Amino acid sequence: MKAMKFLAVFIVLAMLLAACGQAVATEAPAAATEAPAAATEAPVASGAPEDVCAADEWGCAKIEPGQTIKIGMGSPMTGGDASFGIDAEQSGKLAVADAEDFNGFQFELLAEDDMGGAEGGAAVANKFVADPTLVGVAGHLFSGASFAAAPIYEAVGIPMLSPSATNPGLTQQGFKVFNRVPFTDAAQGSAAAEFIYNELGIRKIAVLHDGEDYGKGLAEIVKSSFEGLGGEVVEFMGITSKEADYTPVLTTIAAKQPELLYFGGYTQDGAVLANQMKTTGLENTIFFGCDGTFGTDFLNRAGDNAEGSYHATPRTPPATPEKDKFDADYNTAYGVGPGELSPFSWNSYDCVTVLITKVREVGFVGSDGALYIPRSALVAAVRGLTDYVGISGTYTCDATGECNIQGPQFHKVENGEFVAVN
Amino acid sequence: MQSKETSTPQIKRSKLPKQIRQGFGIIVLLLILWRLYLVFGVEQEYTVDIWARLLISGLVIGGVYSLIAIGYTLVYGILRMINFAHGEVMMVGTFAGYLVLEATKSITVPTPDNSLLSFSNAYPIISVILAFAIGMLIAATTGYFLEKIAYRPLRKAPRLIPLISAIGASIFLQNFAQLLFSPQTRDYVNPDIISRGAGWTMMINDSKVILPYTGVLTFVLSILLMIGLYTMIKKTKLGKAMRSVAMDKQTAALMGIDVNVIISRTFIISGALAGAAGVMWGLHNGLVYYFVGFLPGIKAFTAAVMGGIGNIPGAMLGGMLLGLMESLGPTALGISYQLKDVISFVILIVILIFRPNGILGEALSEEKV
Repeated sequence: MKAMKFLAVFIVLAMLLAACGQAVATEAPAAATEAPAAATEAPVASGAPEDVCAADEWGCAKIEPGQTIKIGMGSPMTGGDASFGIDAEQSGKLAVADAEDFNGFQFELLAEDDMGGAEGGAAVANKFVADPTLVGVAGHLFSGASFAAAPIYEAVGIPMLSPSATNPGLTQQGFKVFNRVPFTDAAQGSAAAEFIYNELGIRKIAVLHDGEDYGKGLAEIVKSSFEGLGGEVVEFMGITSKEADYTPVLTTIAAKQPELLYFGGYTQDGAVLANQMKTTGLENTIFFGCDGTFGTDFLNRAGDNAEGSYHATPRTPPATPEKDKFDADYNTAYGVGPGELSPFSWNSYDCVTVLITKVREVGFVGSDGALYIPRSALVAAVRGLTDYVGISGTYTCDATGECNIQGPQFHKVENGEFVAVN
Repeated sequence: MQSKETSTPQIKRSKLPKQIRQGFGIIVLLLILWRLYLVFGVEQEYTVDIWARLLISGLVIGGVYSLIAIGYTLVYGILRMINFAHGEVMMVGTFAGYLVLEATKSITVPTPDNSLLSFSNAYPIISVILAFAIGMLIAATTGYFLEKIAYRPLRKAPRLIPLISAIGASIFLQNFAQLLFSPQTRDYVNPDIISRGAGWTMMINDSKVILPYTGVLTFVLSILLMIGLYTMIKKTKLGKAMRSVAMDKQTAALMGIDVNVIISRTFIISGALAGAAGVMWGLHNGLVYYFVGFLPGIKAFTAAVMGGIGNIPGAMLGGMLLGLMESLGPTALGISYQLKDVISFVILIVILIFRPNGILGEALSEEKV
């Protein structure tokens, strides 16, 4: 009994120590990243690289021969949202595998589990900034983690390019380092409402969301935009994500006879809704999804019930060879199709590739054989992304870090295929 | 030992005087009645067919909750601990059933008319029985080893320790399944005749109400399993031994009952029930992934508490009630479905105010004290 108590106390103490250790580590990175800059200041006379680094606001990342250029990625890899993080890591790994060496230096992806939340985001960011060879972060995936991580990267000049954080507030904080490739929920929501009202001519809709930041934010914008246009929203409701039985909700909605059901959320719940709509008196109501429900996975899960439903994507170049190659590679490497684990496979690949491309633009080899990457130049280069054609869309970043200004494209499912309709 | 065990857990009840607590309960109750009056008496927005659909889905999910809740209650009755890994045992059962159905689907049994006829469509009843049998077997095995590895070494430890061990086991099983099956969500492959969404159609109020085959299967099977379990507990030797171990371990041991064996068997039985619930969940709802046991596990625990934890009929009643409250509650009270858990928990609190040991809990716990 006594031994047990001791063990319990010991475990608690160990946890506390570990937590403190992490807190101490957060102090370290600032010093660690200063170090290369300080070190390079000494031999100023020997050549240009050192001048560049001394002039750079955040100094240079110095990568010694034999080390790799590290790209970080923060995403949930355990818990209920693990599929997002694992998908992003798998796509990122393919992007690194596709990248050629840069002057003999290899790229490496460092994916860490931030569990999607603020605490995890800050912990991963602190770990990343402690690594002097880490130059950029493809992430974080979730808005909550990104909010917590951005100030930490901002302090040391590590550019972020998120494949999926869509909370509108992220680009309104004045961060120099934060950028993202998805269009915001605001852009998608108002475009969807206009499309439903003007193109489909529908006046009476119900709006559902999965209760998460993304789905709920989107649904709220659709609701307010649609009502602003003069339409009627007969029901606005949240469901419990992944619960798999939504017949009570749908039954209640059916009583109000909406012409269309808008859903803000992801494929998993979306497909269940589309299926259960057929048995709850909503057979003739159109299912209108979002970019979270787009993908062949939706077609597989909903089958015939997917017919006539609408979904959104970024404006993509129609099936490029690069995209086909990625799809094939992903399938071979992991045994599932891209987009099955999360809708962000292609975005994640693009984010890592963009960072690698920009590292190539600003990095240079010094007279000592080490690779120097001036940090503020890299931050500026990522923000200055112009007309970049990736596999998930064409990207140009504006001054706030929004890299997708084209807005969404809507697709209708016809005969088991997605057909672009606007 | 026994006296110590029963004296320490004297739960310190709220300092509020009983009248205030009950007054609060009555106010909430009146509020609920007022909302019910508004929805049924004044607004009358929903027709009978809507209520019929809601009732069907409530009974089906209630059956699943009941089966899982029995597992919590059995283990609590015997060990006085909450087996928080129970939801994960259900998840293991769901996966086992999924793998069996996938296997029977991939085997083809060529017939003259159809050379690609799969085993699961040629012999749907055998396939489903096989899925249930193997799902229950694997989940029972998981339950057995769970007890042996995570709980038995801690049998003599203070009560909080096995609880932490249970949470650890739950996280372990989740992550194990995630590594084994990848985090992707898979679709359950039902044999065609009981595909999801298919069912008997009834015309109520000129509107089609579907009574899904999978739902009927779930409900009927869960009732049968519960009757079976109840008879076993009341009539068989093992049941008698389980009841005596639940009453007093020491005395039961003195009477020649091998307490460890009985505890193992309790875990096997509760695991098998959770496995059956898992396969039902899969057949009816169609999704399987490593986190699938989490929500039903928590809900079933709530159901067990509501019915009176440690009491088997209480768990059945609690499960059914929770299922019905979840599906009928929000509509009946005119509240958003996102708040359905709030409704369930408010009702749980009201029940606990008037019946502190759960609906059917009182008699049994007095017997024990």
